[in-house]
Amino acid sequence: MNAKKLTQLGLLTTVALIIFIVELRIPNLAPIPGIKLGLANIVTVYAVYRFTAKETALILYARILLGSIFGGNMLAMLYSLGGGTLCLLGMLFLRKVIDEKHIWVCSVLGAVLHNIGQISVAVAVMKTTAVISYLPFLLVSGCIAGVFTGLCAQILISRGRKAPKI
Amino acid sequence: MKNTKLWITAAAVIFIAAAVWCVIILTKPRGDIVTITQDGKTLYTLDLGKEKDRLITVEYDGRENVIEIKDGRIHMLEADCPDHTCINTGWLEEVPIVCLPNKLAIEFADNENDAVAR
Amino acid sequence: MKKTFLSSVLVAIFLLTSCGKSENSSSSKDIKNSKSVFAMDTYITVTAYGEDTDKALKAAEDKITSLEKLWSVTDENSEIYAVNHSGGQTVGVSPETADLLDFALDMHNRTNGAFDISLYPVLTAWGFTTDEYRVPSDDEITALLENTGVDKINLDSQYVTIPADMQIDLGAVGKGYAGDLVAEELKSNGVKSALIDLGGNIQTVGTKPDGEKWKVGIRNPFGEGNFATLEIGECAVVTSGGYERYFVEDGVTYWHILDPKTGKPADSGIASVSVIGSEGRTCDALSTSLFVMGLDKSAELWKNSDDFEMIIVTSDGEIYITEGIADDFELSSNFAEPKVSVIGR
Repeated sequence: MNAKKLTQLGLLTTVALIIFIVELRIPNLAPIPGIKLGLANIVTVYAVYRFTAKETALILYARILLGSIFGGNMLAMLYSLGGGTLCLLGMLFLRKVIDEKHIWVCSVLGAVLHNIGQISVAVAVMKTTAVISYLPFLLVSGCIAGVFTGLCAQILISRGRKAPKI
Repeated sequence: MKNTKLWITAAAVIFIAAAVWCVIILTKPRGDIVTITQDGKTLYTLDLGKEKDRLITVEYDGRENVIEIKDGRIHMLEADCPDHTCINTGWLEEVPIVCLPNKLAIEFADNENDAVAR
Repeated sequence: MKKTFLSSVLVAIFLLTSCGKSENSSSSKDIKNSKSVFAMDTYITVTAYGEDTDKALKAAEDKITSLEKLWSVTDENSEIYAVNHSGGQTVGVSPETADLLDFALDMHNRTNGAFDISLYPVLTAWGFTTDEYRVPSDDEITALLENTGVDKINLDSQYVTIPADMQIDLGAVGKGYAGDLVAEELKSNGVKSALIDLGGNIQTVGTKPDGEKWKVGIRNPFGEGNFATLEIGECAVVTSGGYERYFVEDGVTYWHILDPKTGKPADSGIASVSVIGSEGRTCDALSTSLFVMGLDKSAELWKNSDDFEMIIVTSDGEIYITEGIADDFELSSNFAEPKVSVIGR
């Protein structure tokens, strides 16, 4: 990996991390854990379409790890890991079948997988199926947030294509 | 292009299904029986219709959750966890109250029967 | 780069395990603890309440597995298999098996032959033991019935002799007896409150931890859900009905409870029978035999007994309950206004 790639990945991770930390400060809108915009996913979705699978995974996991340390909630990391991994695998597949003009669709389906991953981890950790009743609420909010983050990434990429290559 | 339409449809179907599921949960009839479970074990089964106002303290790994029952309702009063989501959930309604760090869940029991002879 | 990634993963795993180690240290008194085992062709769930019930549940599980090993019809090492393949020779059995056989023979007499453990070959001919359902011809059934008959079984303390061409099966009473023995096992391990669900045979120990009675739903024989709820203390509830196992051929429904006299599905006008009593074995055996006997004969048997109560649902949807449980019986709101009659002494 050359210095340029390393800088790019480092920069993206930093951006994702900053967005993540800032979002932590926004109070929860709904009384359900896990409902949030997930703005840091803009970076993940962007990376899925611009970088290799390995590079994207590096950005995602570095962000989850550092984000959990800075956020001071190590248990939340478990959920982020479960959701993030499923979401990443799904989007890496979807980028092959969904073109750059429809990144938001990929992002929505990624969000759905993210929620399913989160809840699966929660069921395993809590040893109760009570948390499954959170899933539909997470899915609805996840879909809406997914459209938003997806569109952000889509605009970024289309503008980036027009701009001169760095 | 055709494929993309397929994926958009899939996303739409999931969204609508999730919304319907939300409505089902929110309108589900519920009884008075509430269970408090921790780490897969049921600690308490309470009949809110009969319970007197009281506080229940549940300990987990040195951390404490205080559950309050008042006027036939139940909620998380205090919690020793980093996020206070369970307290913010408020009184128990259709959606269970969950304290993720302390693995505690308060929810309405699905079935009031202890068992079914069949 | 690879190294950095690997080490960060290692750090992550370390952090994860260090915060996931927190063991449960709750101090509540009525902790619910349960264990499920697949045995005797069904799921058996034992739920115990109390402070430290792990040992008791383990003992209960061991008991179930050991009983299954004794009574399985198909396991070549079981005692019942040995009896069935003895070729007419006398076979020595364990005290548990002898006890159960003795009980089964008693039940046969008490129910005027409606309870019969020698029907296994007939049940197999119908395919109820193999799931390969078919309707056997009348000649075939008559031939098979020749070799049945509980009176041909000879039990001398712990020694059993049955004719070479007879096969016995304790399926109709084994689960009930197992419930009794598991309840005993739990009690001897200090459990004061427990619920045993042997694939729908319910047996309880004590009351609920808060002193309340257990609420047991009774399955609706005509469809989904329960038609009633019964409040019970320490006792057993066993329900039998044609809906449990059946097949339909040429528009006719054939179920697994056979009339020992005809070798055909018992057609006594009953949809389901629930028997409530202190002994699981009595409830289990009676639920099957009352289904065969029909409403009138069942009511007569109840009047001459004091060890069980019953709920009978007829094929017309009428419900008959005996007076001993009338106060603890409540119809479910979703069951459309059926007629309930209380049978008195």
